[in-house]
Amino acid sequence: MMKRILFSAIISMLLISCNKFLDVNENPNAPTSETLPLRAKLPAVLVSTVNQEQGQLNQIGSLWGGYWGTTNEGISMFVDLKTFNGPAIRHQRDGIPVWENGFNTLLYYQLMKEEAESEGALFYAGIAKIMQGWHFFRLVDIYNNVPFDDALRGTQFPTPRYEEGRVVYQKAMDLVTAGISDIKNSTPGTEPTTDDILFAGNRNAWYRFANTVKLRALIRQSEVADQSYVNAEIAKIQAEGTGFIGAGQTAQVQPGYLNTSGKLNPFWESYYRNVQGVVTGNYQDIRPTSFIIDQYKLLADPRIDRMYVSVAGDYRGVLFGNPDVAPEYSRVNTSAFKGPSENGGQAAGIFKSATQASILLSSFESLFLQAEATERGWISGNAKALFESGIEESFSYLGVPGGSATYAAQPLVSLDNAADPITRIIEQKWLALNSISGIEAWNDFRRLGVPAIPNSLEAPTAASRPLRFMYPETERMTNNENASLQGSDDVISAKVWWDL
Amino acid sequence: MVKKVQLLVLVFLLGVMVSSAQQRAIKGKVTDAGSGKPLAGATIAVKGKSQAVTTNVNGDFEINVNASEFLEVSNVGYRGDLVAVGKSSTLFDIQLVADVTDLSEIVVTGALGVKRAAREIGASAQLVDNRNLNQGKTVNPIFGLSSKVSGLRINMYDSKVDPQVNITLRGSRSLSRTAGIDGRNPNAPIYVVDGVPVPDIARLNPNDIESITVLKGANAAALYGSEGVNGALMISTKSGKKGKGVVTFGHTTTFSNVFLLPPAQTKYGQGNNGVYDAVQYESWGPEFDGSTRDFGLPLPDGTQPTVLYAVPSKDNRLDLFNTGLTIQNDLSFSGGDDRSTYFMSVQHVDIRGIIPDDVNKRTNLRFNGSRKFGKLNASYNVNYSINDKNTTPDGPWIGAYRYPANFNFDMVKDWENTLSPGNPLNYFTSQGSWLRNPYFLIDNIRDESKQQTLNGKIELDYSFAPWFKALYRAGMYSLTDESRSSTRKFEAPGTRNTVGSVSDGSNAYRRFNSDLILNFEKQFDKISTRLLVGQNVRTDYRKTSSIGAANLLYQDLLNPGSRQGELNGSVAITEQRSSAVYGEFVAGYDNFLFLTLTGRNDWTSVLSQENRSYFYPGVSVSFVASDAITSLKDSRRISYLKWFGSWNKTGNVTLAPYQLQNAYTQSLGFPFGNLVGFLPGLVNPNPNIEPEFVTSVETGFQLGLFNNRLNIEGTYVYSDSKGQIFNATASAATGYNSARVNAGRLTNSIIEAGINGDLIRTRDIRWNLGFNFTYIDNQVKELYGGLDNINNFRQSYAVIGQQFPTLLVSDYKRDPNGNVVVDASTGDPVVATENTTLGSLVPPYQMGINTQFSFKGLTVGAQFDWRMGGWLYSEIVPAMYAAGTDPRTAAFDRQPFVWPGSVIETGPGQYQANTMLTSSGGRAFWSRQGEVQINTAAPSDFLKLRELNISYALPQSILGGQRIVRDLSIGLVGTNLFIIRHKDNKYGDPEYLYNNTDGYLSFRQVPPYRSFGFNLTASF
Repeated sequence: MMKRILFSAIISMLLISCNKFLDVNENPNAPTSETLPLRAKLPAVLVSTVNQEQGQLNQIGSLWGGYWGTTNEGISMFVDLKTFNGPAIRHQRDGIPVWENGFNTLLYYQLMKEEAESEGALFYAGIAKIMQGWHFFRLVDIYNNVPFDDALRGTQFPTPRYEEGRVVYQKAMDLVTAGISDIKNSTPGTEPTTDDILFAGNRNAWYRFANTVKLRALIRQSEVADQSYVNAEIAKIQAEGTGFIGAGQTAQVQPGYLNTSGKLNPFWESYYRNVQGVVTGNYQDIRPTSFIIDQYKLLADPRIDRMYVSVAGDYRGVLFGNPDVAPEYSRVNTSAFKGPSENGGQAAGIFKSATQASILLSSFESLFLQAEATERGWISGNAKALFESGIEESFSYLGVPGGSATYAAQPLVSLDNAADPITRIIEQKWLALNSISGIEAWNDFRRLGVPAIPNSLEAPTAASRPLRFMYPETERMTNNENASLQGSDDVISAKVWWDL
Repeated sequence: MVKKVQLLVLVFLLGVMVSSAQQRAIKGKVTDAGSGKPLAGATIAVKGKSQAVTTNVNGDFEINVNASEFLEVSNVGYRGDLVAVGKSSTLFDIQLVADVTDLSEIVVTGALGVKRAAREIGASAQLVDNRNLNQGKTVNPIFGLSSKVSGLRINMYDSKVDPQVNITLRGSRSLSRTAGIDGRNPNAPIYVVDGVPVPDIARLNPNDIESITVLKGANAAALYGSEGVNGALMISTKSGKKGKGVVTFGHTTTFSNVFLLPPAQTKYGQGNNGVYDAVQYESWGPEFDGSTRDFGLPLPDGTQPTVLYAVPSKDNRLDLFNTGLTIQNDLSFSGGDDRSTYFMSVQHVDIRGIIPDDVNKRTNLRFNGSRKFGKLNASYNVNYSINDKNTTPDGPWIGAYRYPANFNFDMVKDWENTLSPGNPLNYFTSQGSWLRNPYFLIDNIRDESKQQTLNGKIELDYSFAPWFKALYRAGMYSLTDESRSSTRKFEAPGTRNTVGSVSDGSNAYRRFNSDLILNFEKQFDKISTRLLVGQNVRTDYRKTSSIGAANLLYQDLLNPGSRQGELNGSVAITEQRSSAVYGEFVAGYDNFLFLTLTGRNDWTSVLSQENRSYFYPGVSVSFVASDAITSLKDSRRISYLKWFGSWNKTGNVTLAPYQLQNAYTQSLGFPFGNLVGFLPGLVNPNPNIEPEFVTSVETGFQLGLFNNRLNIEGTYVYSDSKGQIFNATASAATGYNSARVNAGRLTNSIIEAGINGDLIRTRDIRWNLGFNFTYIDNQVKELYGGLDNINNFRQSYAVIGQQFPTLLVSDYKRDPNGNVVVDASTGDPVVATENTTLGSLVPPYQMGINTQFSFKGLTVGAQFDWRMGGWLYSEIVPAMYAAGTDPRTAAFDRQPFVWPGSVIETGPGQYQANTMLTSSGGRAFWSRQGEVQINTAAPSDFLKLRELNISYALPQSILGGQRIVRDLSIGLVGTNLFIIRHKDNKYGDPEYLYNNTDGYLSFRQVPPYRSFGFNLTASF
């Protein structure tokens, strides 16, 4: 009897084991892709892009592009960038993970693209392609050869092959073009709305943005260009017809920043005030270089007063990478950024409020790109007008009262008086992008050597300049065979493909 | 001497209470506690007298004694026992427990908590008894096993007041870092406490443990499930014995001191480029010159703090650390009668850390009992522990590695005083983060945790017939943890500012485990058979939640309610279930040949429906030659010889719940109001993961010589793990940071050997010496996706053809002779593009040496640990290069120099000696060298005296004549008393790991420490 009871108990337990009992593996804590519509994903991906742009890339470029140095007190800040310490920059924990962040964000767009394509949501697919193009351009600018065809395929290609920087540039260009046509082919009424925190689903805004991204990539090749390729691509842009980002059309991301922990504008929170309203360490110790202060002064540039606070009635900068301290470079004797607290509570140049939008691509950068393309004869138009409009847009963004006409008429500013118009355009572009798109300043310096930025005083040799990043340690750990095929990735000797 | 007199007085007073007793004859029987067989020739002596008798062939004895006296019972191969005579006239049933040295009679706790004669078992098993386990008086019982068992490697990580354990039995079988809902180390053995698998035993009172049997083979998996693939630690807690109640009290106090800090240069002080700087923390200033210099900025009252700019007379960094203090008190009661037994204990442990204010307090309560009801035997164990911890997270000591050698810690202690140089507003460096005043960090950043563990079991065991028994065992393990991490607000400009934050967490974890086992036994003439079939159900449930605020309003109000901005928090519920059926069949022939067959089928919830059922079999054989072969049987030299062998194929699933899909979460500040934003995880999921399988074969012998005075054992094991489930670190260019895969293969060839013998064995003196040796040849055979290496953690890799994990580091470019190649234009050494493989991060050779010497009441026990052949990497040192505190940064008077033994590459493969100076000898140069990882790697070889225990049991001449104190012993105990390291290892103790990663040392770890103290044990 007892045996029979036991036996049936075992049998019933066995039956339990085979069905419902084990079905507890659905995640009760977080949704999966299937349960989330595309509109629940797009905002986070765009923020991921702009955070990298305004955080990491702007910082690298502002230091290597001649904008920033540090005070005496900040002598041990940014040491890796001041000394061009390639191995430290690529370090997996303490380094600057441009590669990792870039490819992770590319994956977010890839998953979005795949989902959008399978659902026929072409507008989203188009956005994903344009933004993927953006990120591939950036990766090539920093690392030269990178994976493209094999990239973002998960376990299909666990060790993605690299492709030449030039090829990746072309493929990224095609991706942006494909993105434009996807958006064009998308059914009216299927546009994103508030989830598109860049353009609120405005088709033309996306076309202008995409065309400007392409123009930037073409300008980048100015010194190595295959002119027929450039002409063909320009023709595509012109055939599309919407044109470029113009005055008042800055591409900026505004997810709805709040002055509360974790939700502030990240640039503000990093370089100006924290959530308590206390100044940050970066604010205390980052200073304009003496070089940029001299440029502003030379041109009697009124933007200096919107950007910086004066010290004893003057604006004073520091020397980038200075290993020695001297009283004139201390915190109190140099000009910090100007923000609302130093401006009677009013919005200042680049610090307007804790909830200001994050710039992805400014109208002034677009106008200077167009001015350069016109000057090079790639597109038709009035280079001078575009150039002056760029200056005006910069004045307007920084809130300089009274417009830029007087300033622009000065011989040292005006395009008419320039010995080399392209140098003049870059000089003004460099001033306009100060601390906003630092990475473009470094890119232009590598491309053209303009302006004549003094070298870091802690450079390995007086002549060595930073040319790229080494492939990251994580890549050496996981895909070394392919990384090694790319030859030297030395920071001061291996150039990216468009840098002659 | 004074103490001895006091004791004598005490004893005298006690003696007065002893009634003058009457002699009477008592009878008794001495049996083996394991088998119940009578023991002939055992000695029964009256304690403190010369009177003694021996037992006859039936184990019976008779002796005349007083009721107040004690009987000392001893027998070769058994541990002695002390029995109070008392007034009872019943027969004395004295059970002796076999001493581990007598191989033929060892009884181990086999799978499912069934006591089995070791002779039956076809795989290695090693027993560590209570005395051996507690030799070093460790708080966590696992550390008591260190270097005592061959094949078992134990390291410490997060070594604060509650160190975590990194434990591996017989090498690495898995490439995963964590597994399952309990986040266990997939290379750790399963912990089984009184027959119930539990996730952790760190909170057990080591004094409660009767013995730990280490079952090394994968055989344990057949009966305990996949987690037993790495073997099992079978923990048996104490139970009461029939007879008079025994009360035991133990006390241990130990003191700990920091040692083995990485050396720092003492030539240069704070500054930049050779110029003194009062506000610079890095040591790039001028040479120390004995002058008095300004230190930091002037204080608010205008005074300028100063510091003596001179070579310090001692290592100032040590001033930051306290002498740690650990106090353990333990009290237990046990006893029983014919039908029931009980064991109760209470333990309190109070630990004060080497970091000021770090505290950990633990209280344990245990109640074990059993009762017989006719054919039904019921037993139950309940263990409760509360562990209250309050520490400062990684931080205060991190600055100490980077501050100048003359830094005066005392000067900055009084941080609350606004006129102190230690106040955050006045602190000399404003670099913030880890470089804030260590005392400020200690006082303001705290992690608190109150962890309660309740675990226990109920076991019912019913004999239906002499050949059929059924057993039901239900076990429960419950853990709740209430935690708080808080940072007190300190408002100041820039990096001097500290934002106030608090996060309150709770973690509730429950495991229920149920086993129903039917046991059939039948003897057919010389053939014995036993069949065991069982069914298991296990459920694990965890709920973690946290709520917090990242911007508190007030310094002293640590509550999310008084905050600015939004509340933050999260909740996660995880559940894992499994069920299984299993069986074991043992056939024995004449008690010398045994064959065991095992099989188990598991169903687990963490895999897809198609993949969740898996079966795994095993077979083992044991042959006791010394009983089977007549010539051996009669041998006077050989007392025991056993050969054994086994084969197992074991399934394993190292996934945690919900890992088949990719979960999306909101981050980057989302949601912003109504705007949501979800991002996928960066681990590439795989819904088709299948179980992995480990095949292992093992063979070995045990040999007892000269009446078991010398025991030798040897084992060879080969295991092959295929289809590894792990998180393969992937190139970020794949989009993901890692991929969950079913790939990879690891093999282990292992040799384990042990020799243990009594060098001296007389009535008064015994000197025992034992060695255990392990060699593990671990090989990575296959990885995933055609890769030849996969990153494990930072510099730790799995490399095909190498041991796992292996150390790969960046290195200088070198010519074929190993000379460093320098750049012809700068004179600086060139960093090679390829990493250099240095070797295994796990020492393949390991030896434990233990010795015990006893002379009458005096016992000296020592445990040595020797490990060879491994490498370590220290991430402490790169930061010391940048800060100019590493001794190498002071070389060549910090002037440009010719890199020693360097060459210039004049053409491809053409080298010539270099005479060019480096670009500088200062900070920019040395911080670049600090990033070259070979500079901070070293062989991890060491020999250490892990434990030393000297104890003295007070002799009967002192204790005699009173009946209150039965035994009293006092002793000294020490751990890590000395260590010899490889000459290149200046970085730390190779055993102190970071983040559960073999061979990896970090500045986040507290530095190593050694302990010494005293203890006292008394039984009543």
